Amino acid sequence: MRKHSVKSAAIVGAALLVLAACSSNKNEAGGNNGGSCDTSKGTLTVGVVAPLSGNLSALGIGIKQSAELAVDEANKKCTVKGYKLAVSAQDDEANPAKGAQAATKLSTDPTVIGVVGTLNSSVAQTVQPILKEKKIPQVSPANTNPTLTRGNDFLTAPKRQFENYFRVCTTDDLQGPYAANYLVEKAGKKKIAIITDGKTYGEGLAAELQKQVTKKGGQIVGSEKVGEKDTDFSGVIAKIKATNPEAVYYGGEYPVAGPLSKQMKDAGLNVPLMGGDGIFDGKFIELGGKEGDLATSVGAPTESLATAKAFVDAYKAKFGKEDYAAYGAFSYDAANALIGALATTLSSGDWSDSKRDDMLANVGKYSGSGATGDVKFDQYGDSTNKVLTVYSVTSGKWKDVETGTFTG
Amino acid sequence: MTPVLEARDVSMVFGGLKALKGVTLTLDEGKIVGLIGPNGAGKTTFFNCLTGLYTPTTGQVLLKGNVLPGDPAQVTDAGVARTFQNIRLFPSMTVLENVMVGRHVRMKQGPLASLFHGPAYHRGEKAARDRSRELLSFVGLNNLDDELSRNLPYGDQRRLEIARALATDPAVLLLDEPTAGMNPQETEATQQLIFRIRETGVSVVVIEHDIKFIFGLCDSVSVLVQGELLVEGSPETVRADPRVVEAYLGKPPEEVAHEVEAAAASAEEEQA
Amino acid sequence: MSVLLQQLVNGVMQGALIALIALGYTMVYGIIQLINFAHGEVFMVASYGGLATYTWLLPEDLKKVPYVALPLMFVGGIIVAVIVAVIMERFAYRPLRNAPRLAPLITALGVSVFLQEFVRNVYPNATSNLPYPKVFPEGALSLGGVNISKTGLLLVLLSVGLAVVLQTYINRSRMGRAMRATAQDPDTAKLMGVDPDRVIVLTFIFGAVLAGVAGILYGGYLSNINIDMGFQTGIFAFTAAVLGGVGSIRGAVIGAFIIGLIKTLAGQYMPGGTQYDYVWIFVVLILVLVFRPQGLFGEPERVRA
Repeated sequence: MRKHSVKSAAIVGAALLVLAACSSNKNEAGGNNGGSCDTSKGTLTVGVVAPLSGNLSALGIGIKQSAELAVDEANKKCTVKGYKLAVSAQDDEANPAKGAQAATKLSTDPTVIGVVGTLNSSVAQTVQPILKEKKIPQVSPANTNPTLTRGNDFLTAPKRQFENYFRVCTTDDLQGPYAANYLVEKAGKKKIAIITDGKTYGEGLAAELQKQVTKKGGQIVGSEKVGEKDTDFSGVIAKIKATNPEAVYYGGEYPVAGPLSKQMKDAGLNVPLMGGDGIFDGKFIELGGKEGDLATSVGAPTESLATAKAFVDAYKAKFGKEDYAAYGAFSYDAANALIGALATTLSSGDWSDSKRDDMLANVGKYSGSGATGDVKFDQYGDSTNKVLTVYSVTSGKWKDVETGTFTG
Repeated sequence: MTPVLEARDVSMVFGGLKALKGVTLTLDEGKIVGLIGPNGAGKTTFFNCLTGLYTPTTGQVLLKGNVLPGDPAQVTDAGVARTFQNIRLFPSMTVLENVMVGRHVRMKQGPLASLFHGPAYHRGEKAARDRSRELLSFVGLNNLDDELSRNLPYGDQRRLEIARALATDPAVLLLDEPTAGMNPQETEATQQLIFRIRETGVSVVVIEHDIKFIFGLCDSVSVLVQGELLVEGSPETVRADPRVVEAYLGKPPEEVAHEVEAAAASAEEEQA
Repeated sequence: MSVLLQQLVNGVMQGALIALIALGYTMVYGIIQLINFAHGEVFMVASYGGLATYTWLLPEDLKKVPYVALPLMFVGGIIVAVIVAVIMERFAYRPLRNAPRLAPLITALGVSVFLQEFVRNVYPNATSNLPYPKVFPEGALSLGGVNISKTGLLLVLLSVGLAVVLQTYINRSRMGRAMRATAQDPDTAKLMGVDPDRVIVLTFIFGAVLAGVAGILYGGYLSNINIDMGFQTGIFAFTAAVLGGVGSIRGAVIGAFIIGLIKTLAGQYMPGGTQYDYVWIFVVLILVLVFRPQGLFGEPERVRA
């Protein structure tokens, strides 16, 4: 049966399968460790689920390679006694259905001890339940939608959603309001138009921003949606322009945000576009993000943290380029949280399925100092690190403007 | 003298059906040859072999002593043009345009020349237009240039088809039932037209059911029965040949002639 | 008021882009009754061809001279489009010329998928949006609060201009007449000395040239390209061709402008806004097809003798 379905899938989309095969190969990290560590008990796997192809692949590849770096270092330092660690990276194409397939594949592999990912909150929604079935811990470097940890009433009645889900970044219920405060109070933009792409991440972020803008005396003058695959935004822009906004907030990611910003300017709507961590990438500028555009992102600027320097240097040494992207440091910390918890778990015996409860508990209790600062989880699985940074496009590059935490 | 068109022992087989069995036909320059025979005798099939629509299973077709190419466009280029039993004009093109398509093969502008509208293009277009108008007037279609061909009356459509065929500057013109559905006056006019065509130096082969028409028109008549050439000769010879009367006509000639006229009259009614 | 005018301007610009592609659909359909679903991909490939010309063929100093770089990008994009279209016709469609209609249709879908996957795999970084070079006229004209993007204006002028040239060509030239004759009766056209293979290839080439122009302008107008662009825009162009009456040049252009206008106006004024603007396009299409199945300017299907 299974064989049959694989066969017909191959007939339908041979080209696609080739692609999938290319991007889901196992990367044996640290193949040459000089035999200095004991790896007699076999190989354990850290799964990665991220968009390795498609529009968001710049972010996804940063996540994957940073996780590989962490595993590589652990292998060299013999962090996990008796085992060799490997990374199995699965492409989710930023698509919830593909994410579910990737999660299923990883959850059927008994050597997978935990998963780093996903990038998109919407993908996390389908990945979480599958991994939970097998009690596989998932640590996301990038999901910022608050409902993933605390449910729909995350402000009034937070309730843990999945005991296996953790994240090392902060959430949109802080990111959105933090951006709102900056826009209204620091930048003095009172009339704000909102555009979203209709996905979990963008909608959630924009909703949180909207509340805080109104609270601070600003005004939401327009609210529009665009399609994730749209490329011509002239209609939306004309609509928004008629309301004379002083800034446009975009809830979504850079593949749309970059061209949107460019087309805003071309259409004579020359006001800053602001977005969340989803637009905080060099690609945004390349695709048309203009001077003065703003973004918030989780954590402090990687380059500015003393703890991050080691990560940046090691990444550059391993991959040659500094393309760890917005979530590289978070992904490195996420992988290290899994590895640290695994080391603790294995101190009381060899790996087996019965160790998975211990493993979950140990991830929850993990505490370490990572590339993004202190890595620790609260009772919902959220990071205790609530630092956010506002960046602005200055001379064709993202430059940090303000780092802090949301205080109301 | 080499005949202008010569079919040598042409056979055509479709699957198991022998549509033509070794038909030989000779057309001398400046002559009109008639091809008659009952329905299904293979007349149109023979025309299709002459124009390259079909490649004969065996045998050859020669134009001025040269074997004709097997491709209709090249046959036209070589100098054979035809009309159709069931009229095949380009219905959504104007009368003038239909004739100008006929000029296609004699015009030289390639795709790019006509895109950039140089002087050569204008000269070529004007020459083609002038020649086409001349031919329309020759067949008696004046002041109808911009009419869509599908809006013309039946007889005019037949004449337009002839003008279009003449536009290819043929040495040989093949007419497939040119008077089908015409009234006696129109038939008479068509006969005169064919004589005038011959005067311009074009040799003609005509398929027709109207025996009277054929015998009054042709220099020589060939009778085709079940894919075989039965008789060939002057109208007088053919008319007198008992085999023709028996095999093809099956009845005394007068009776047949009468029948044909009746058929023509009813076709005319249909047309009206 | 100025919002309405602005949306009309936007609609006309989108319509102009769609028209350039719709012409290719309608011409090919007119000649060989094939809905060439891969035509949208020709447009996409042209866009990448133009980008490749800029990235790899242009010397650095010429990249900064828009009136040299831009025409060369057009040339590069069009050449790529034409090559793809000719190969596609020769190897995918010509062998199926006399096959049942469904066969070339399915082949067209296959060619479409092939071209997308080919670009995805071969073009560097084609998996994500690629920024288009800034060699296009920058900025916009402002007329009474209405913003008219210069590249958009160029797009409209070129689109309408090329459609007029095409219409004239088809009506007034030797090859144009041959194309129409082949469309109406290929066998008889052959007997007039028209080589159908030449006519068909020429039709594909014309479609590709127009799609090539569209591909480059798309990049300039929207500032970035991706491999989905052909499918997305192709659907609109195909719809425009059907709306106007497949086979009709005028119909394709008018159909395209109608679609561009419906899209922007529905985005502005209809419930659901820009997220549901597509819906209204297809509502109009369905209504037109119910009351006029041959489209606005199409001729009723004629049974061939």
